[in-house]
Amino acid sequence: MENGFRAYHPYVQFAYYIFIGLLTMYFNHPIFLMTGFILLIFVNITHDGGKALKKWVLILILMSVIIIILNPFLVSRGTNILFYFRGKQVTLEAFVYGITMALFIVNIIILFVSFNLILNGNRFLYIFSKVLPRTAFLIMLSIRFVPLLKNRLDQISEVQQVRGMSMTVGSLKNRLQTGLLRLQILLSWSLEEAVQTADSMKARGYGLGKKTAYIPYKMLKRDWIVLVTMTLLFFICLAGGMLDYGKMAIYPELGPLFFFPIDWVLFICMIILFSIPIFAEGREKIRWKLSI
Amino acid sequence: MEVINIKDLSFRYPDTESYALNNLSISIDEGDFVVICGPTGCGKSTLLRLLKKEIAPHGHLTGEISYFNKPIDKWDERKLIEDIGFIFQDPDNQIVLDNVLQEMVFGLENLGHSNVDMRKRIAELTHTFGYEQLLHEKPSELSGGQKQILNLLSVLALKPRVLLLDEPTSQLDPIIAKDLLVILDRLNKELGMTIVLVEHRLEELFDIADKVVMMDKGEIAYYGTSREVINQVFQRQDRRYIPFLPAVSSLYLNMASKFIANEIPLNVKEARTWLASLSMESSGETKKIKNRAEQATNPIIELKDVFFQFDKDKPMVLKNLSLTVQQGEFYGIIGGNGSGKTTLLKVGLNILKPQLGKVKVFGQKYNKKTERQLYRKMEYLPQNPLSYFTRDSIEEELIAIAKKHKLNNMKEIVAKQLHEFGIEHIKSRHPNDCSGGEMQKAALACMLLENPEVLWVDEPTKGLDPISKRQLATILKKINQKGVTIVMVTHDIEFAAKYTTTCAMMFDGQITTEASPEQLFKGNYFYTTTINRTTQNSPIDEALTLEEVLTLWEKSKASSY
Repeated sequence: MENGFRAYHPYVQFAYYIFIGLLTMYFNHPIFLMTGFILLIFVNITHDGGKALKKWVLILILMSVIIIILNPFLVSRGTNILFYFRGKQVTLEAFVYGITMALFIVNIIILFVSFNLILNGNRFLYIFSKVLPRTAFLIMLSIRFVPLLKNRLDQISEVQQVRGMSMTVGSLKNRLQTGLLRLQILLSWSLEEAVQTADSMKARGYGLGKKTAYIPYKMLKRDWIVLVTMTLLFFICLAGGMLDYGKMAIYPELGPLFFFPIDWVLFICMIILFSIPIFAEGREKIRWKLSI
Repeated sequence: MEVINIKDLSFRYPDTESYALNNLSISIDEGDFVVICGPTGCGKSTLLRLLKKEIAPHGHLTGEISYFNKPIDKWDERKLIEDIGFIFQDPDNQIVLDNVLQEMVFGLENLGHSNVDMRKRIAELTHTFGYEQLLHEKPSELSGGQKQILNLLSVLALKPRVLLLDEPTSQLDPIIAKDLLVILDRLNKELGMTIVLVEHRLEELFDIADKVVMMDKGEIAYYGTSREVINQVFQRQDRRYIPFLPAVSSLYLNMASKFIANEIPLNVKEARTWLASLSMESSGETKKIKNRAEQATNPIIELKDVFFQFDKDKPMVLKNLSLTVQQGEFYGIIGGNGSGKTTLLKVGLNILKPQLGKVKVFGQKYNKKTERQLYRKMEYLPQNPLSYFTRDSIEEELIAIAKKHKLNNMKEIVAKQLHEFGIEHIKSRHPNDCSGGEMQKAALACMLLENPEVLWVDEPTKGLDPISKRQLATILKKINQKGVTIVMVTHDIEFAAKYTTTCAMMFDGQITTEASPEQLFKGNYFYTTTINRTTQNSPIDEALTLEEVLTLWEKSKASSY
């Protein structure tokens, strides 16, 4: 069974990803971004021990390195000049900008990795169907067809392989021919079977007036509390951001790195907001430990 | 109370002259369990579909179908959708969504039920039928039987009063098919639900059914209680329907000197009671069971210590499996679902490559060079023969093969082949438009034109009516006698027991026993034929098939005089 953050209502999860995504784009302060980066990694680890993220590590590192190195050499805006390269100035501002840019992109990608783990399949479609019910239903139908088609194509390939019509040996023309032949068989076969699917839908009243939607998820008290807390924190951050807190001036001259008191308030709000999945998971863990 | 009343119903598909249903009248009472059977093309599926308005075929219809004394056209559409549920043959095609829960509520959503109502019904159903564990699975990952039960549940969610089923068990293995029938019996007995079932596999159904309808050419040939129908068919020696009769009943009818219609046994228990009442004794002599011909040592297929798994993290499907098939054998491999039978076949054909172990065919290993050559000497008949055909008609397919082999007098050969397999009448049809049995015959006709030495067959009896099954058996026997080695995977024990020369039982990724059918099946509890279960420890000699019992019976009668 699902527990921790996974057990929350899809709306709550969706709100989380929207809020975090927006804030990541909104705050460009390197310390904010860096903290966000660390927290998001922890969030991912609470989902699946970081398995999904591991596949991304190499790409993320490579990409960040390229951005951080390239940006100062391509952009020469800024006042604090570090050195000259082939007569062009390389500035501290451009360097710092590269770092924030890399962190921003990395954060968004990590967020998506987490999104994929949490709001997958039906949960996503559930949210989607609120906006576009017909399209969502169509997507659900097509999802069903993928394994069916694959299964049929496998069967066809096996039989045709034994018949001596191979896709791996022979001239390119022959191979193309057998490939097309297989697709042709698949098509006529699938059309035949799809008629039955349509019958089965009609037999259960599809297209008969207005459809209701089964809602497998219920907003619990817990979900409301989390949602309200998140919204509150988000708006505090947003308001602060409007007053230019949580941001750092980079161009034309690098601003100070230190925090004003209100920056601290925003910083803490942000940390809490980012860590909500970690809290959810941690609470569960502690509860289990205590109950033993 | 009369639920369905059909009066003088005639139905003709567009652009055809002949009637699919011809002046047919029948009435079905509430709570009846009705079984409709008959050879392919007798109109039984058409009749069933006409009872469900939404999927009724288009065509010319005369006569009247009424539901609770009111023509079905006059009923509210919604009411009929809820009241009359329909289950189709193929478990896969009727599943609409790739989520078990969503699938179950699909009908309820369409009819606009409230959430509370949906929750209640789903909870009730999953609990009653023990489906909780599967609620969060994906339908594409379920087994055939689980899929068919899901289809049943999603129809039951609408609380139907009448359940129509079109060959629901034909794609399932016998044990799971039985489970489904038990559920239907339960629905009928506990809820008084009216059930109308079209089916070929009747062995157990005669026992459950209240009424049996046998159809032929759009008309009702026999109608009545199970015993009445069996009695009539036998008395008239109606060759069209004798293959449909359950083995235990045939046993009684053939052996009893004076039979009483009310005493025709419908299950093993009744048959055994009757046998025990006979005043006779087993000859006591245990017939010498022929050992598998050991002198012939011309192995044509050899698998040695084969291990196979689909994925690194998945369990082993084949574990240390060894198998030898001698030339000229009709080798049957039986085993339950998921025992690895089909995988074994595919490993033997090099469609799947084993992780460990040797596979040799004609004394050669598969590799890139030999594969083509070896395939030339082998043919593979898959579960669904549709995937075999590449042309638009059966005749074209045959001609294409003849051309490939550069045969002279092509036309004659093709015509001869069509005649030999009895498929002349469908030669210009698209394989899609043929019934399962016809398609299989056509595929076999094509394959035999290639002059194979080995024929691999995967579950050939799936979905066949008893008559097609007999025809298939004759064809396979004939092919075998011509010297073609046949390797067949099946869960049809009766079929394997009757026709194979050697049988192997697969269990847990291994071949547990290999012997002649007699040796393998005699004395088994469940893994044996109904006749064997009836005759075990009974006054008459133990036998596997009806024919065997009857010959033994004749002999003992002759000797006692």
